[in-house]
Amino acid sequence: MEAVATHPAVQEKSGLPGDFAIWIFIYAELLVFGVFFLAYAFTRARHVELFNTFQQTLNRESGAINTLVLITSSYFVVMAVNAIRRNAAKRCSQWLVLAILGGGVFVVIKLAEFSAKHAEGVTLSTNTFYMFYLSLTFFHFMHVLMGMVILSVVAVKAHRGDYSAEEHTGVETGASYWHMVDLVWIVLFPLVYVLH
Amino acid sequence: MKYSSQAVAKPYFIAAIGLFVGQIVFGLVMGLQYVWGDFLFPEIPFNVARMVHTNLLIVWLLFGFMGAAYYLVPEEAERELHSPLLAKVLFWIFLVAGALTILGYLLVPYARLAELTMNDLLPTMGREFLEQPTITKIGIVIVALGFLYNIGMTILAGRKTVVNLVLLTGLLGLAVFFLFSFYVPDNLVLDKYFWWWVVHLWVEGVWELILGALLAFVLIKITGVDREVIEKWLYIIIAMSLITGLIGTGHHFYWIGTPGYWQWWGSIFSAMEPIPFFMMTVFAFNMVNRRRREHPNKAAMLWALGTAVMSFLGAGVWGFLHTLAPVNYYTHGTQITAAHGHMAFYGAYVMIVLTVISYAMPKLRGEEAANPRAQVVEMWSFWLMTVSMVFITLFLTGAGVLQVWMQRYTDVPQAFMVVQDKIAIFYWLREAAGAVFMTGLILYVISFFVTGEKRESVSAGVPDTA
Amino acid sequence: MDKAGYRALRVWLALVVLTLVTYAAGRAGLGGRLVISGLLLSVLIKGQMIADVFMGLKGVRSPWRWMVTGWLLVVVTLIGVAFS
Repeated sequence: MEAVATHPAVQEKSGLPGDFAIWIFIYAELLVFGVFFLAYAFTRARHVELFNTFQQTLNRESGAINTLVLITSSYFVVMAVNAIRRNAAKRCSQWLVLAILGGGVFVVIKLAEFSAKHAEGVTLSTNTFYMFYLSLTFFHFMHVLMGMVILSVVAVKAHRGDYSAEEHTGVETGASYWHMVDLVWIVLFPLVYVLH
Repeated sequence: MKYSSQAVAKPYFIAAIGLFVGQIVFGLVMGLQYVWGDFLFPEIPFNVARMVHTNLLIVWLLFGFMGAAYYLVPEEAERELHSPLLAKVLFWIFLVAGALTILGYLLVPYARLAELTMNDLLPTMGREFLEQPTITKIGIVIVALGFLYNIGMTILAGRKTVVNLVLLTGLLGLAVFFLFSFYVPDNLVLDKYFWWWVVHLWVEGVWELILGALLAFVLIKITGVDREVIEKWLYIIIAMSLITGLIGTGHHFYWIGTPGYWQWWGSIFSAMEPIPFFMMTVFAFNMVNRRRREHPNKAAMLWALGTAVMSFLGAGVWGFLHTLAPVNYYTHGTQITAAHGHMAFYGAYVMIVLTVISYAMPKLRGEEAANPRAQVVEMWSFWLMTVSMVFITLFLTGAGVLQVWMQRYTDVPQAFMVVQDKIAIFYWLREAAGAVFMTGLILYVISFFVTGEKRESVSAGVPDTA
Repeated sequence: MDKAGYRALRVWLALVVLTLVTYAAGRAGLGGRLVISGLLLSVLIKGQMIADVFMGLKGVRSPWRWMVTGWLLVVVTLIGVAFS
């Protein structure tokens, strides 16, 4: 086949950190979350009383703590990328493990929150506010799990020495995804837990 | 053709095309019955023609998918098919079972068919698209299992490529989700759930994996772009298809007795379903623009690009048109659904099967590509079928919009048949476009028999290593 | 720690502070147009910091960076509209 090759290979040049394909994915995810957020906001505008009342039943503390956990975890990921750029592969994988632990803390707190609501008998059909609260946070929750899986793969590969200062696209790819999960939560927390 | 066992794909492709012709014949019959109610009555009532039209579509697409898999899997796995004999045996079982089922629809009343096939032992008949007698369904499962075993063993023993694994996942999902067709709950809401878990999870879920894998394979072959680049895109596309497609099932759950949150989940996620199709379009054109070789099979490239565009339009845009709950409230079950169904099935699944056939058939006949004259005829058939399908879709959309306007979105709704009379002109136009489609299809069949001067040696001595 | 590390740490601190402010506003039960505008502005700032420094989009050519910023702007503005 190479015998009839007539054109040179072209590389993607976007300058984006990590693999270009993950960014397509990230933009698509942002779009979905954006639509979901706006659906929440505009539905709320028609049921202000209901939303304000039931927003009070949310555990704002656990929401705030989870925000701190996620941004801290995101910071660890930044340090992991930093480390691999200095060719410190072992250090990189250590930072990633810390970041994954952060994700784990988020998951535990979130599960406690869900189970508390479950114990109160709250379901998707209870009312529109809870429908949005559960849908949005659960959808985000799944992204945290997904991000943890991605970071775990990257951490193992970093530990094995698959990345270097020259070639660490994989680390940046995983990092970009994790920051997206963080970025979305940064909007979600005030929107659902605080604004009224 | 690199492995002799790939040859088993050929009868599958031929059967697929043959049944495709049958499907279109019945499409034309029904199209006429829309405006000439007792055409062919009582020999072929409308409901029977419709059943034959849709069932033939499904069966020939399955033939196409299986043929494509038999061609593609050995080449990707870099070894012979596990058992070519099994593939041949299953072909005849599937063809005979399919033919008998269609004959059953045509020759005996449906209720009698149910009796004859002992439907009462395990009742599964009577649901739209899943009308097959229970024994046919069992036959489909047996064929699917044998087929999966065959290609699964080939893949496991050989080189594991992303294309192969995605294809296998899609085919496995196809078989697994079909099992829901054996369960028919008495509760109507549950019944709809299980029905959609076959119908929706096929065409908006696992079939998209098959589509993605087949398109990726053909693009790797005809563009010569690095496998890594194409596989990466394939990953992203199927991830998006699955997320949006699986949760998007909710767009079938509006107002059928299901919880209200489905209106939100269904609307938001299915509104995102065009994204992976759009990515597929960008991806296909991107790969072709970066091609590192000039493949002599121009027709296959045209089909591949056509698939990318038409699936986005048919599945993506026309699906989005009526997927949001407040819109669907007025449009469900109108001709808008039919418009979407026609262009989506043609654009996504008909065209991808024809893409693979276009690429693989010359190879199966010992050439790199069909001769230029045959390719010209094939490309004519491409344009005739594709453009006429666009018109069929537009006419049905027009009919659907008027239908909604006069019958649904109004303070003074008119009776169903009154409205049908008023939009009859669109049905006539649709039938005319259908006749053009048939012409295109006949040309397509002819293109396989067009002879021309032998191509100048492009294929000779060039190893196919992609 | 190198320069990039310090910058990330500063952003982290800013994010923590802004988050605590948001939480405090919620705890105090503050509402109304002014508070909502302020909190939404802080969302914008936090989001842009994450995009620029954490994601590392600062030096990236448009349109890729602007797509994230644009997303933030559209979402935050429309939320503001819906809440006013």
